[in-house]
Amino acid sequence: MRFQEKLRNNSKEAIWDEYCGFLNMSMDDYMKVQNRLVMEQIEIWSKSGLGQKILKGKKPSTIEEFRKMVPLTTYGDYADILLKKQDEYLPEKAVLWIQTTWEGGMHPIKLAPYTKGMLDTYKRNMMAAFILATGTGRGDFDISVTDHMLYALAPLPYATGIMPLLLKDEIDIEYLPPVKEAAAMTFKERNVRGFKLGMKKGIEYFFGLGSVTHYVSQSVTALSSGKGGSGKSLLKSVSPAMAAKYLKAKKACRAENRELLPKDLFKLKGFMCAGTDNWCYKDDLEEMWGIRPMELFAGTEPTCIGTETWARNGMYFFPDACFYEFIPEDEMYKNMEDSSYVPRTVLMNEVIPGEKYEIVISVLKGGAFVRYRVGDVYRCAGIGNKEEGTSIPRFYYIDRVPNVIDIAGFTRITENSIRHSIELSGLRIFDWFAVKEYVNNRPQLHIYVEMEKDALTSIAVSSEILKEHLGIYFKYLDNDYSDLKKILGIDPLNITIVKCGTFERYKQIYGKPIRKMNPSAHDVADFGALINEKPTGYSGRNF
Amino acid sequence: MVNYSGVSIIALLGYLFLLLAFLAAKKTKVVKSFIAVLVTMLLCTGGSFLMRIQFWPSVYLWHHVSLLGILLIPCVFFKFFLCFLEEKRNYGNKLFSAFFLIMFVVNLFTNVFIPLPEIVEGADGKTQFLYHYSYTVCLLLGVAVIILIQCIRLFIRCSRGDELIKRQLKPVLLGIGILTVGTVMSTFPFLRGIPTDIIGSIVFVYLLFYALYKKHLFKLTLLFSPANCYIVAVLISMAALYRFVTPTRNYLMEKVRLSEALAILAVAMLMLVIIFLLYIIMKNFINTIFVREEHVQAETLKQFSYSVSKTLDREIILSELMEVLSGVIGVTKAYVCIKDSNGQYNMEKAMSPLEDLFVLKSDHPLIEYMAKTDGCVLIEDFKCSSNYRSMWEIEKLQLDSKGIQCMVPMKDNDELIGIILLAKKNKNKQYTYDDFGMLSSVSSVCSMAVKNSSLYEKAYEEARKDELTGLYNRKCFYEKITSAFENSRDKSLALIMLNVDDFKLYNQLYGNKEGDYALKRIAEIITASVGGQGDAFRMGGKEFTILLPGFDIYSAKLLAESIAQQVRDMNSTTKMYRLKTLTMSCGICASPYLASSVDELISNADLCVYNAKRAGKNKVVMYNESIEHSESNGSGAFKSAYDEYKSTIYALTAAIDAKDHYTFGHSQNVAYYASELAKACGMSHEFIGIINEAGMLHDIGKIGITDNILNKPGKLDAQEYETMKTHVENSVGIIRHLPSLDYVIPAVISHHERYDGCGYPRGIAGEDIPLMGRMLCVVDSFDAMISRRTYKKAMSVEKALQIVEEEKGRQFDPKLADLFIEQVRNGGIQVRRNDSETEAV
Repeated sequence: MRFQEKLRNNSKEAIWDEYCGFLNMSMDDYMKVQNRLVMEQIEIWSKSGLGQKILKGKKPSTIEEFRKMVPLTTYGDYADILLKKQDEYLPEKAVLWIQTTWEGGMHPIKLAPYTKGMLDTYKRNMMAAFILATGTGRGDFDISVTDHMLYALAPLPYATGIMPLLLKDEIDIEYLPPVKEAAAMTFKERNVRGFKLGMKKGIEYFFGLGSVTHYVSQSVTALSSGKGGSGKSLLKSVSPAMAAKYLKAKKACRAENRELLPKDLFKLKGFMCAGTDNWCYKDDLEEMWGIRPMELFAGTEPTCIGTETWARNGMYFFPDACFYEFIPEDEMYKNMEDSSYVPRTVLMNEVIPGEKYEIVISVLKGGAFVRYRVGDVYRCAGIGNKEEGTSIPRFYYIDRVPNVIDIAGFTRITENSIRHSIELSGLRIFDWFAVKEYVNNRPQLHIYVEMEKDALTSIAVSSEILKEHLGIYFKYLDNDYSDLKKILGIDPLNITIVKCGTFERYKQIYGKPIRKMNPSAHDVADFGALINEKPTGYSGRNF
Repeated sequence: MVNYSGVSIIALLGYLFLLLAFLAAKKTKVVKSFIAVLVTMLLCTGGSFLMRIQFWPSVYLWHHVSLLGILLIPCVFFKFFLCFLEEKRNYGNKLFSAFFLIMFVVNLFTNVFIPLPEIVEGADGKTQFLYHYSYTVCLLLGVAVIILIQCIRLFIRCSRGDELIKRQLKPVLLGIGILTVGTVMSTFPFLRGIPTDIIGSIVFVYLLFYALYKKHLFKLTLLFSPANCYIVAVLISMAALYRFVTPTRNYLMEKVRLSEALAILAVAMLMLVIIFLLYIIMKNFINTIFVREEHVQAETLKQFSYSVSKTLDREIILSELMEVLSGVIGVTKAYVCIKDSNGQYNMEKAMSPLEDLFVLKSDHPLIEYMAKTDGCVLIEDFKCSSNYRSMWEIEKLQLDSKGIQCMVPMKDNDELIGIILLAKKNKNKQYTYDDFGMLSSVSSVCSMAVKNSSLYEKAYEEARKDELTGLYNRKCFYEKITSAFENSRDKSLALIMLNVDDFKLYNQLYGNKEGDYALKRIAEIITASVGGQGDAFRMGGKEFTILLPGFDIYSAKLLAESIAQQVRDMNSTTKMYRLKTLTMSCGICASPYLASSVDELISNADLCVYNAKRAGKNKVVMYNESIEHSESNGSGAFKSAYDEYKSTIYALTAAIDAKDHYTFGHSQNVAYYASELAKACGMSHEFIGIINEAGMLHDIGKIGITDNILNKPGKLDAQEYETMKTHVENSVGIIRHLPSLDYVIPAVISHHERYDGCGYPRGIAGEDIPLMGRMLCVVDSFDAMISRRTYKKAMSVEKALQIVEEEKGRQFDPKLADLFIEQVRNGGIQVRRNDSETEAV
């Protein structure tokens, strides 16, 4: 039975319990589901060619053995099989292959197989997120077949493209613009068309990456204010009711001396966002739409694994999407410094509130990835929440792991990709390190560079020139980086040139070189102190 | 008036019809509130009708009755609305009700809101009732409107995003609309004479009734109660005979010439007969159309209960269940899974015999879900549960491939003893609430029957099984060997008999608990080795048998050797390093090669065991004629182990002699006294032999004690005494290396234990000390007392006996001490001395 039929035949409580019932689970019940499903996965994955390749002939029969025998994996462990789409090596037949960026220019794409079981679970969990996004409490939601959804998601073969398809499988809500139409449009065309249709039919839901929804919201604000087109022509194409609403809202805004905002025209029932850096945009989005976006976590490899609830106060992981393990923060750093060190993992019932963890997933239902390091860091916000009536752990998404810099959910900049860009640029950079920073609540990539001494006399060097140069090669190597500018109009690169010898001096003082990617705030401060240090010859002398 | 009367009567009868039906229904909150609506409508319409026909006692009474109904309608409807939405809050309805009741009372005395109607005679001679309302009536209308607004608010709140509530409330809302429109229309002058308000209220009530029906709050068949049949019969009779009463009466008076009184009586009787006949016809008709199915179900259930109560055979019970499921419910496929002793649910019966067997594991999410559920569950409901999330894909596929649509738990109190899985019904019909009721009843009956059959099977199994090991017992062995022999006439049947060697010793060494544990381990080894190839039995004590249909003697030998080897290895693990190695003597015989009857088979295998024992134990012996021959020659006479190992014992005692001459003599004396005491106790020849050997060897451990302690003149200090005490364990340590003599260990190890538990090395007391140990203790002490040692003089026999007497119950077993004293005094035991420095007895 489709969701919309259930709406007609089942009570609201029954529907809520069906989809969101996992929130009622005790920790033991939750772990029971996890353990049972991972045993299924162990059973089928161990027998597959992929499993045998990683297990090297061993066969775990318990979860403990599984955690001992299977090493922590990254995409490189699967690349040879998955990039060739070798179905026969997979635990189960893939019905869909989803694509994402791997590591910029060096490894262009990653492919992930989706089985039928995974898609069924994905669908159920997406619907759960959808229900929770429109509700105000337990058992409450507001979804109707006649509603419309404005969405700012990339189409297939990207992971975000599955979401409207799966929702469509369950309910005939109208997408603005229709999914098929949107696939053939540019990003800007989609926004304009979506907004125009929204003005005609109304918008009840809005879904997209946090950064993209912010951009789209700004576009909607501009369009509805008459910028970029005549207000009159807009009125011609909308229903009389909407026209009246528009005029009334305009009048009110004039009285309040402010711009027309989307919330003046649309009353959203649900607002969902995914991706990284969402916290930067949430307040603005709430201001613009009158409703705070609800965050959900989905990715190419892990599928849809977590959602916030009506309380918008941390995410809960779905028990049937993946088997979750967590690397404690100190173990993650130990492993970053010494790649041969095998970090310890803890299970969902072992996480400690307040601690940060790198997530490790084993995709259930015949998925390919097992003990896979997605590269995301979460903080455990607490075990359960009185307000929501839950007793399972709740998490906040923090960011990517420190050795990957993700800007607004678009890019995955690694040490390799920066080094590659520097090499291609031909700039005579002696040393560098990169750090993700937030300026005016927006993410940016800050690279500290030290030029070779000789270069300073032979070429023109300034922050602007370096930014221009490096920016070009980032865009050249990484399409997603290029999309940041193209789609969102963001140029996130910031360059600081440090005086010659700073890196060497840091090494002398602190006994080790500064970490290339995202060194700790303390290390950056120490480094900053060296930049501002007066030359040695002047120190302590009075003239 | 005619219109009003007709419509009013129809309305009244309609309300009455529903009221009678609902009075018989289960009184839930919403049903009660609907009954309140019906009563209110009856008051309203009935009062109005009786007023219009100016019924006794007064028009005004009926006016007030009608008014009470009208005033209560908003409140009772609001109550119904709240109950229908399952709202727990009252939303001020109590206040509204109180308000209207107070207003009614005020109006009763003051007529301030609705004055009494003015009764006028119309031009056509008909009576008319004219109402002269004042503006005060607006107060009542205002409150009614507030209630209506409350209803609308509630509807909007509850139906937000809830399509089901919207659908369920549609008839209710339509009813309100029609009632309102009908009431408003009745005030239009051009519609005067048409009772639109009453028509509206009839439609309103039936729409509420429809809403309840759609919400499955009652069964439709409830409408066809006997009372309702009677009302309908009366109505039809009245309608049919209305025009014939007077002509019939006239006919009877004129033609039959009856008096008027008789004619009226005859007509009344005729009416009664017709009503009764109509009632019977209607009842049968309704039974045929609506209630027959219920009757069939009830009859089937009765029959099923009767059938399953007569049998304890689970197969028959489940077959009967399948008959019911197929016949009454119309199920196309059904499966019954019953819980086994491991907590798994095995499919024990399917509607079709061609179905594959399957098992639902104890952690199967369906099992967990059903354990929490009391009634029938549709697969769709299960799929909506959290338990479904943990289903394996293969488990989902299993349910899907079998087309399971409905599941019924079989429970014994809170324990889930089974599950009935049902596929679709014939012609793809949906499962109904009636089906659920029937299935629940059938399941309850079946659960009881299955439980009884399980208890019977368990009791039957227990009667056939050995409690300790779980193997079949001797009684079962004789049953099985007879039937196996009969079934194996054309094939071979091998019998292995296994006897654990020296098990009594094992028990004495480690206690009965350890012995029982060893037997369990042996049983496990045998069960695991035999598997499904045959049956294993514990014949009693330390004796086991294995019956192997289809096995020849050679295959049986291999199996026996494998078992014997596993038993030998059983105690060799690190954990058990201190335990004695257990061995088995096995005898094998097979028919038809070596036995032509059951008795011969058993006796031949038994003979083999005997031979294995005689040949030194720890052997597998296959039957052949020479065995029989050797037995018939009588060469199996008991040969003392002492004789066999005499040389060994002498070698050991000689070693002692060399080291400590006194101890050698002492050992001989102790052996003598112990043997004599055992004889006096009436012990067997074998016992006497063993205690003699134990006496000889009891101090063998003194070999390990240094000479300066052993021959120290004077008292030993504490440390020396502790060293001296170790001779007991030393003795055991030496004897342990002589497997053939290890049966003396219990006696040797306990000869320094005291009856009061203060002895050494184990500190055991009373009869926990082996009998031989208690005997040795008495005679060892006695001989020590009457002997001269380097550190003491010899004690007189009398003095020694006196001490034995005094130490009764403390150091010595009182009975043995008395017997020994008696035997010494009466010369049954001769006192033996190794020196000349003794006193006369």
